[in-house]
Amino acid sequence: MEELKKAIVEFCESGKTKTKFYFKDIEKAVKDKVPGAKTLQIKKACSALINEGVLIYYSTGSTTMYGLKGKGITEDH
Amino acid sequence: TRDKLGRFNPDNPMENRVTDIGPRHYWQCFPPVIQKNYGKWDYHEILEPGVLVHVSETGDKAYTVRVGGMRFMTVEYLREICDIADKLADGYVRFTTRNNIEFIVDSLEKVEALKEELGKHKFVSGSYKFPIGGTGAGVTNVVHTQGFIHCHTAAVDASSMVKAIMDGVFEHFTSMELPAQVRISMACCLNMCGAVHCSDIALLGYHRKPPAVDHEVLEKICEIPLAIASCPTAAISPAKTEDGKKSVKIKVERCMFCGNCYTMCPALPLADGEGDCVVLLAGGKLSNRISPPKFSKVVIPYLPNNHPRFPEVVEAVKQVLEAYAKDARKYERLGDWAERIGWEKFFEKCGLPFTEHLIDDYRLAYDTYRTSTQFKY
Amino acid sequence: KIKHDIPELEQLESGPWPSFVADAKRYALRRRKLGQDNLLINQDVVEDLLGQVELSYVHGETHWKHGGIVGVIGYGGGVIGRYSDVPEQFPGVAHFHTIRVAQVPSKFYDTDFLRGLCDLWEYRGSGLLNMHGSTGDIILLGTFTDQLEPIFQELAQVLDVDLGGSGSNLRTPECCVGKARCQYALYDTQEMCYEMTMHYQDELHRPAFPYKFKFKFDGCPNGCVASIARADLSFIGTWRDDIRIDQDAVQGYINGEFPPGGGSHKGRDWGKFDIYEEVINRCPTGCMSLEGGKLVIDNANCTRCMHCINTMPRALKPGKDTGVSLLFGAKAPILEGAQMSVLVIPFMKAEPPYDNIKEIIDKTFEWWMEEGKNRERLGETIQRVGLQRFCDVLGVPPAPQMVKEPRSNPYIFWKEEDVPGGFKRDINDYRSRHAR
Repeated sequence: MEELKKAIVEFCESGKTKTKFYFKDIEKAVKDKVPGAKTLQIKKACSALINEGVLIYYSTGSTTMYGLKGKGITEDH
Repeated sequence: TRDKLGRFNPDNPMENRVTDIGPRHYWQCFPPVIQKNYGKWDYHEILEPGVLVHVSETGDKAYTVRVGGMRFMTVEYLREICDIADKLADGYVRFTTRNNIEFIVDSLEKVEALKEELGKHKFVSGSYKFPIGGTGAGVTNVVHTQGFIHCHTAAVDASSMVKAIMDGVFEHFTSMELPAQVRISMACCLNMCGAVHCSDIALLGYHRKPPAVDHEVLEKICEIPLAIASCPTAAISPAKTEDGKKSVKIKVERCMFCGNCYTMCPALPLADGEGDCVVLLAGGKLSNRISPPKFSKVVIPYLPNNHPRFPEVVEAVKQVLEAYAKDARKYERLGDWAERIGWEKFFEKCGLPFTEHLIDDYRLAYDTYRTSTQFKY
Repeated sequence: KIKHDIPELEQLESGPWPSFVADAKRYALRRRKLGQDNLLINQDVVEDLLGQVELSYVHGETHWKHGGIVGVIGYGGGVIGRYSDVPEQFPGVAHFHTIRVAQVPSKFYDTDFLRGLCDLWEYRGSGLLNMHGSTGDIILLGTFTDQLEPIFQELAQVLDVDLGGSGSNLRTPECCVGKARCQYALYDTQEMCYEMTMHYQDELHRPAFPYKFKFKFDGCPNGCVASIARADLSFIGTWRDDIRIDQDAVQGYINGEFPPGGGSHKGRDWGKFDIYEEVINRCPTGCMSLEGGKLVIDNANCTRCMHCINTMPRALKPGKDTGVSLLFGAKAPILEGAQMSVLVIPFMKAEPPYDNIKEIIDKTFEWWMEEGKNRERLGETIQRVGLQRFCDVLGVPPAPQMVKEPRSNPYIFWKEEDVPGGFKRDINDYRSRHAR
C-alpha cells in the first residue's frame, strides 16, 4: 500500500503543467513502477490518499480526475 | 440542528461520520395498499385521464391520481404536495420518471376527495398547481434538463420551453384522444443529460458557434492541458498570443459545440444568443411494443431560441402533433406512423420543409440514404 | 414585488400548466418573511436566481460557470460546483452548487422524509430543488461551499440517505415502479436496484472508471425507465415460457365488456373493439390466430413485444418463468452518435442475492477499466473493439439473438488459432508447387 501511494504521489508531482490526472493514467504509471500492482489496489491507495488529504478529486460533473491538494486549480478556486 | 456547521466538526471531520448508506429503503415509503399487494397485481385500468386502478389478486384495489408537476420546484411546493398527501393519501406520494406526481389510495371516495382538492390548488396567477392527467393515449409530462436555471453549457432554457409547450398542448395532457402516447422530451444542449434521443418529439438546444477564446486571461484562469484534453474531437491545441501569452487555438471545422472545454476553462465561452437555436427531432420510442425502440430523427434543423415562450417551437410541436393525430392508426406511435407513410409523406403531412441539413453527413450517414426505387411522390 | 424586474419570466405565469415562476416568486417572499436570521444562505437567493435567469432570457445565454468541486470528504461525486458569472449583480447565487441525493428506488416517499428534506434545504440551501433529475436523483439546487459538509452529515445522520453519483463513477441506479404497482414486473426491480446500489457503494462514491456508468432496471419490455436508451447496463424483464391466456376474458374484450389497452384510448371513439384489427393483425411476428373462438399464440415465434398483453391486460399475462435480459452500452450522442443497448445475455434468472448477475457486472467493470480509454463509455469500447471480444470476456457464447442480421461484409479477422497450420508459412514449401 505505502509503495503504491508513493508511486501515485510521485507521478502526480511529475506533471510540469498538468496538475489533474485521469485514474487510467495514474494506474498505468503505477503499474510501470510497481510491477504486479492490481487496479483495485491502486484505486484503494488513491482513496486512502484522498482521505489523508494528499490528493483531491476534480470533476467536470461527467468526468473525474485526481490531483495533489494545493496544486493548480483547487476546490477553493 | 440549527447552527452553521450542524453535525459537522471541521476540527475532527471523521467524528460520527456516516457514509455509504445508500438510498432509503423503499419498503417504508410504500402506502399500506402497496405493501400488502406487492407483486400481486393482476391488471389495471385507466378510469379517466389521470386516474388509474390496479387490481390485485387479493381483490384489493389501488387507485392512482396522477398530476403533472414541475421538475424545478421550491420546498414550498413540495410541502404543499405533502399537505395533500397527509390529508388525503395516508402520507405517501410517488414521483414518476417524467416528473409527474402520484397519489395512491385504496378507495374511490379518496380519489374523489383528491380530485376535488387538487383542482382547488392554483397559483395566484391562475395556472394549475396539480393538473390531473398524463395517462394513456395523450401527451404526458415533458422530461427535461436544467437550462438557464443551473447549467453552464445550456444553449436554451429548459423550464420555460417546457412550460410554453405544455400550455400549448395542455388539452392532450388532460385527455386521451391521440392514436398512442406521445412522449415529448427536451434537452438544453447536445450533451443531452436528459437522453431525449428516443422520444416521439424531442427538442434540443444547440450551439452553432465554436468557443470564443479569451486570450487575455486564459493562462491565468485555466489549466491549458486540461482544456485541451477536454475536447472530444481534439480540436483544441496550444498557442501563443502575439504578446507572448500562453493560450489555445481552435480548429473550427472540428468543433461539435459540446461545451466540454468551457466546463474546464471559463475562458472558452460557447454561448451565443444570436447563434444558438433549437432542433426538433421526431419519431423515437423506447418501448418494444409492436416495433423495436428507435431513435428520434431530426426533422427541423433550426428553430429560433425565442425566450421565454418560444412561439415557433410550440407551433412546430403542435403542427407535428396534429398531423399525427389526424392521420395515424390506433396504437401507432409517431415514428411507426412516419415509417408506414414514408418520411417524404411525413414532411408533406406536417407541412415541414425538407432542407439540406436533414441529410446526414456524419458517421454511417450512407445507411440513411435511400438505395431503392421505392419512394412516394 | 421581488427585488429584480423580471418581465420576461412573468410571461410564464399565465397558462394552465404549473408555473415555476409563480412558485419561485411565492417562495422568494417566504424567504423574506423568514428573514436572514433563520436562513444560512442568502435570503435573496431565489430573487437573485430569478434575476439571473431573466438576464439569461434577455441575452439568450446562460450565466453559469462550472467549478471543480466534486463532493464531500472522501467522496468523488454527488456535488456539482456552480458559480454565477455575474455575481456582483446577483450575490445570492455567487455560489450555486448542486447536491445529488439518492432517490428511493422508484421514487415513493413518506411525507415525514420529504418534510425533513424541505426543512434542511430551506435552512442550509436555496430551497430550490428538482424532483427529480434525469438520472433519478433528488437534486438540491444551490448552496454555498461551506454548507456542503453540514448538509451531507444532516442527510446521512438524520434523514438516513446518501448522496448520488456524478463524475466517472457508477451513477445512482434507477428502476421502474415494478412489483409495487404493476402487473408486468417480471422481476423485483426495486429489490434488485436497491441491492445493486448497496453492493456497489464504493463504485458509486469513489470514481475510478474511465467515464460514467449507469444501471437501469426496467421490469418488462415496455421500458418505462428508458434503460435501453440511456444505461450502460440495461436490465429488462423478460420470460421464456408461454403467455398465459384467459379465454373467457378474451371473449370479454371481443364482446366489449372491457376497454382495450386498459382504457388508454377512452378519449376518442375508435369504434367497436376488433381483435383482428387491434391485436392479431398488429402482432409483429404474426404468431396469433383465433381458432374456434379461442385465441391461439404460437409462443415459439413470439418476440414478447407485449402489444397483445398491453391491449388485453385482463386476458393475457406474461409467462411465469421470468428473468432479465442484459443489454449493454447505451449512451447519448456525444461523441460518435447515440447508441442503444445491445442484447448480450438474452435470459438470466434474477433472484437475490443476484450472484450470477454480480459476476457479470464485475467482469464488465474489470474489462472496461482495463480496455476503455479515458472518457469512453462502455458502448464505445464495445463499438471500438467489437462485440465478440466483449462476449468472450463475459464468457458468453455467440448467439444469433445478439444481432439484427449477420454481417454483410466478409472481412472476418481470422485468428491464427482458427486456421489449420497457423499463420507461419514456409515460402519454399509454396515454391515447391508454384514457380516464381
